[in-house]
Amino acid sequence: MPREIITLQVGQCGNQIGMEFWKQLCLEHGISKEGILEDFATQGGDRKDVFFYQADDQHYIPRALLIDLEPRVINGIQNSEYRNLYNHENIFVSDHGGGAGNNWASGYHQGKGVEEDIMDMIDREADGSDSLEGFVLCHSIAGGTGSGMGSYLLETLNDRYSKKLVQTYSVFPNQMETSDVVVQPYNSLLTLKRLTLNADCVVVLDNTALNRIAVERLHLQNPTFTQTNSLVSTVMSASTTTLRYPGYMNNDLVGLLASLIPTPRCHFLMTGYTPLTVERQANVIRKTTVLDVMRRLLQTKNIMVSSYARTKEASQAKYISILNIIQGEVDPTQVHESLQRIRERKLVNFIEWGPASIQVALSRKSPYVQTAHRVSGLMLASHTSIRHLFSKCLSQYEKLRKKQAFLDNYRKFPMFADNDLSEFDESRDIIESLVDEYKACESPDYIKWGMEDPEHILTGEGNATGTVDPKLAV
Amino acid sequence: MDEEEQTKLIDLLRELVVRLLSQNPQDTTNPNFQNSFRYALRILSSRLTPSIAPDAAAIAESIKRRLATQGNSSDALTFSDLFTKFSSKTGPGSVNNKWAVLYLLKIISDDRKSVKNVISSSNLLPNLGLNESELSNGSRVLNGKEDKKMSWRNNGVLLVNKDPENLRDVAFREYVNLVKEENEVSEEVLVRDVLYCCQGIDGKYAKFDATVDGYVLSDLVKVPRATRVMVRKLCELGWLFRKVKSYISESMDRFPAEDVGTVGQAFCAALQDELTEYYKLLAVLEAQAMNPIPLVSESANSGNYLSLRRLSVWFAEPMVKMRLMAVLVDKCKVLRGGAMAGAIHLHAQHGDQLVHEFMKRLLRRVCSPLFEMVRSWVLEGELEDIYAEFFVVGQPVKAESLWREGYRLHSGMLPSFISQSLAQRILRTGKSINFLRVCCDDRGWADAGMEAATAAGTTTRRGGLGYGETDALESLVIEAAKRIDKHLLDVIYNRYKFKEHCLAIKRYLLLGQGDFVQYLMDIVGPELSEPANTISSFKLAGLLETAIRSSNAQYDDPDILDRLRVKLMPHGTGDRGWDVFSLEYDARVPLDTLFTESVMARYLRIFNFLWKLRRVEHALIGAWKTMKPNCITSHSFTKLQHAVKLQLLSTLRRCQVLWNEMNHFVTNLQYYIMFEVLEVSWSHFSNEMEAAKDLDDLLAAHEKYLHSIFEKSLLGERSQSLYKSLFVLFDLILRFRSHADRLYEGIHELQARTMESSLSSRDKNKSSRQKNDKYTEPGSWLSDGRKAVTQRAGEFLRNMEQELDALAKEYTSLLEGFLAQLPVQQHVDLKFLLFRLDFTEFYSRLHPIV
Repeated sequence: MPREIITLQVGQCGNQIGMEFWKQLCLEHGISKEGILEDFATQGGDRKDVFFYQADDQHYIPRALLIDLEPRVINGIQNSEYRNLYNHENIFVSDHGGGAGNNWASGYHQGKGVEEDIMDMIDREADGSDSLEGFVLCHSIAGGTGSGMGSYLLETLNDRYSKKLVQTYSVFPNQMETSDVVVQPYNSLLTLKRLTLNADCVVVLDNTALNRIAVERLHLQNPTFTQTNSLVSTVMSASTTTLRYPGYMNNDLVGLLASLIPTPRCHFLMTGYTPLTVERQANVIRKTTVLDVMRRLLQTKNIMVSSYARTKEASQAKYISILNIIQGEVDPTQVHESLQRIRERKLVNFIEWGPASIQVALSRKSPYVQTAHRVSGLMLASHTSIRHLFSKCLSQYEKLRKKQAFLDNYRKFPMFADNDLSEFDESRDIIESLVDEYKACESPDYIKWGMEDPEHILTGEGNATGTVDPKLAV
Repeated sequence: MDEEEQTKLIDLLRELVVRLLSQNPQDTTNPNFQNSFRYALRILSSRLTPSIAPDAAAIAESIKRRLATQGNSSDALTFSDLFTKFSSKTGPGSVNNKWAVLYLLKIISDDRKSVKNVISSSNLLPNLGLNESELSNGSRVLNGKEDKKMSWRNNGVLLVNKDPENLRDVAFREYVNLVKEENEVSEEVLVRDVLYCCQGIDGKYAKFDATVDGYVLSDLVKVPRATRVMVRKLCELGWLFRKVKSYISESMDRFPAEDVGTVGQAFCAALQDELTEYYKLLAVLEAQAMNPIPLVSESANSGNYLSLRRLSVWFAEPMVKMRLMAVLVDKCKVLRGGAMAGAIHLHAQHGDQLVHEFMKRLLRRVCSPLFEMVRSWVLEGELEDIYAEFFVVGQPVKAESLWREGYRLHSGMLPSFISQSLAQRILRTGKSINFLRVCCDDRGWADAGMEAATAAGTTTRRGGLGYGETDALESLVIEAAKRIDKHLLDVIYNRYKFKEHCLAIKRYLLLGQGDFVQYLMDIVGPELSEPANTISSFKLAGLLETAIRSSNAQYDDPDILDRLRVKLMPHGTGDRGWDVFSLEYDARVPLDTLFTESVMARYLRIFNFLWKLRRVEHALIGAWKTMKPNCITSHSFTKLQHAVKLQLLSTLRRCQVLWNEMNHFVTNLQYYIMFEVLEVSWSHFSNEMEAAKDLDDLLAAHEKYLHSIFEKSLLGERSQSLYKSLFVLFDLILRFRSHADRLYEGIHELQARTMESSLSSRDKNKSSRQKNDKYTEPGSWLSDGRKAVTQRAGEFLRNMEQELDALAKEYTSLLEGFLAQLPVQQHVDLKFLLFRLDFTEFYSRLHPIV
């Protein structure tokens, strides 16, 4: 009963980061590109069966489904040296191969069309596991396939596997540069609704921040997707270390997430990682102590979500929860000292309506991957400032929506047929209420929040805009 | 004799006389010299011949025989060899008169011996030495010379005839006669009696008197008071002798019996040897007693050579020794073994060189069996102690308690010259060997012992050590201890994998192997909810097996997994499986010396605590799963009436916030247990394990490790109340879990009803969502209207919220109580717990006390 986790990688971006993730996992577990355990990988203690299963010929096969509506990325994987790693039955490319045209509605609609095929694959994987813990979805929220089809899959999974966990690694588009996908705000909004309602945990990977980190922290002039994706795979593999190297605590996904998400709605997590390196980059070896790692993790510049908050708002932002996963050779006594320092220096603001603390999980480091630093750390945190990211999405959506731009593309599909744009409105309301809930979490009266005037959090009723920041409403 | 030879002879003679008189060779006019020279010439020119026939071979034979009888057979051989060479030399330049040379040598040799005697007794025989001035009396020279020869034969007593007119001589004679007249008993008789007494035999006049406990002259004998006292004093030696002698013979008689012991035997033997010396002295004295003091006068009725007074001088040294022996005999009468050696040792600390030497000699003998025991114990682990004299005492015990109870120090038998720490070391070294032999079935220690002996520079032979070599003993013990202990630890670490077992215990009994614990919790959970008396441990064992196989534990050493068992504790009425379930780890010989029953009992208590904590965590995680973000309850209830929605929202929020508080408490308690308790204690333990030099160190380190976990986990005596309130909190959390489950079940039902109602909104048959009705009267809710659903829902939610409120209130007050107790606890580490629980100062802000 290894508490298996099935990974669904949907769309171009999803498959790319998924690929990186599996590469990293193979490295850490000493599994070759063909899926065979390397000779040197004899040191036990790791659990491969959470993410892999063994075929009859002892090959380790990822519990992964590769789904896309256009064949380019998946073909790339199939022609790469990792082609024998995956189970070929788990690869789905739509017959026409035309993609979703960066249209959420198209992706969603096509998803509905191939539901049976995909659900068959998922069911098969689920049946093949002893005690399925949940699903991990990798996708981007801006394009067509990852966002649209991903959304559809989220709804279906929520329906069919309501007891299982659904975690997503969602890549948010880079909002600093003009995107070639003009309808990106529409796609994002519609996907965000599903992420809010149908996912248990969303790890937000903000391309804006990833780029910023690549430029500022790694000193790369023009970071490529491969480089930013390697950041993503680092985060993904680090966040699963406690599952793969069992210790005293945090040995399953639900245990990991439960403490991070005390209020169900606020299940969007930010990540931070230090020290960061990119493959083949000769990194300056830094002195890494637990305190250093934990302090750096709290610095905004290391966090992989952009903060759009203004100074005043930023000062009010609060952590709902923090989990630091520290990997490497750590003296456990250092943990307490570090926590004490952090509290003394008031480096972190927590919510006031309940008790909270920095949780620290110590995890082993893979013996097969050599790193220059003794200690590395990943932070998973629920922070109220993430609402500004959603507000930004909302405001971009509002701009586009006001102009009624590009809506025709959506009207072609049944959901928006007959000019029924209520889906947009509903999504917008849900995101707004989400923003509000995060805002409410910053106040000590969160417990009573919404009781006096519950209209605005309950969808479909009341005037939601009433409480939204006036700037965003425009 | 021709002229030339004559002058040469005279020159030689002159030279000889000059040397003998140690005079200035120029001063030949000195009358002394002249006299002596003349005297010597006369001797040479005399016609004196020895009584023996001039036969060189006969003389040589007699010398050879004498050498042989004196035990110098090799000298005798050398002599005969030399003699052959000597006699074969002929021709010019060789000695002509071979016989005369040999005879001369023999005479000189005899002379030397007697001179030695003269010197040794010279202080006792005053005025009898050769006085050169007396030789000046020329008329007596020849006489004197003859006397001299005679006296040499008389064992060195040189008699010189004196002038009968000598006043001193006359006075002396008169005095002797006077004494003879006064005393009924002559002194020589008394001397003889004293000598008898000193051998423990009653003399003619001096007898042992039991009433005065000593030898006294009988009152009938008429002697001066002074003599009486003198005799009494001298006879003390006899009294002492009797004491010592009787002790020896008593002990000798008891030898076959147990209570003398080898040390006692050695002591007796040593005493016996001393007595032998004493006998020798007495024999000499007795022989001398027969010799009269040679007097010059012809009446020759002088007193005997040994007088009482002389005797007292003779006895001075034996008296000291004998007194010491008597004191020791007194001391040691009831003592045995090490205690005896110790008692004797106490007397050895004496400033008097004589006493010191004597005691040292004695102790060397006495201690040798003891040291032999130490040697064989330290190097071979053998307790060769049939008379129970050793300071290490063994007793037959089971293998598991061999280390702790098998051997102990018997402080009564510990001689004071072996320090307590050395004794401990000796004890431990032998114990280690026995432990290796009995429990570990190991043979490698023998090499270690050999090595140690070589390193210490002592052979492993018996009797290699003695008293006074305490340093050597100590270095032997240290070397042996070092090697044996190291070997023992090697065996424990490498062959019996102590560290691995500790880790296994940490992983399984202290729940370090998270995945394993989780599966176990998952699969035994349903079983453990049953009443304790219905639970089959067989089934649980099967489930344990399953948990091992499906977790990473499967990669563990099968030997380790084999030792992991399910243990059901004795249960009372009303106990659930949860209350009695535990895991145990079978340590087996020899590790059961470290993991004793009491140690395992403590591990068991820690396990129970951690298991309960895990169960509470599990329950909370389970609650989270029912209310997880994407579950249906989080979705909007669009069709619900406003008030009900509000109620739903507030109830859910109540539930979530309370969950968050409880979860925060439980997770942080877990983190505390992990970081501040288990890991920290373990890392200390590992360090100490590395540093441990012997099994006792290791035991102490392990004890410390266990104690630290025990105390910090609130299991100690001092934190009883804290522990109790913690368990009340745990129970409350478990109660919360069932409330939360009920709430969500209700909400799900409500959800279903609402869906239904929305699906068939035209159909006015709405349902009651009362849970009990659902099972008993499935049709009843269909008859109720939508309004009723809403009403019921509102009611249910209100009730639930009230219940949750009550729970929250109870929880808050309990937690407050718990937190308030933390700072007053004595151990520092609980401050860490408080620090974690109140990281954001949420509680201290809530209740700003203290």
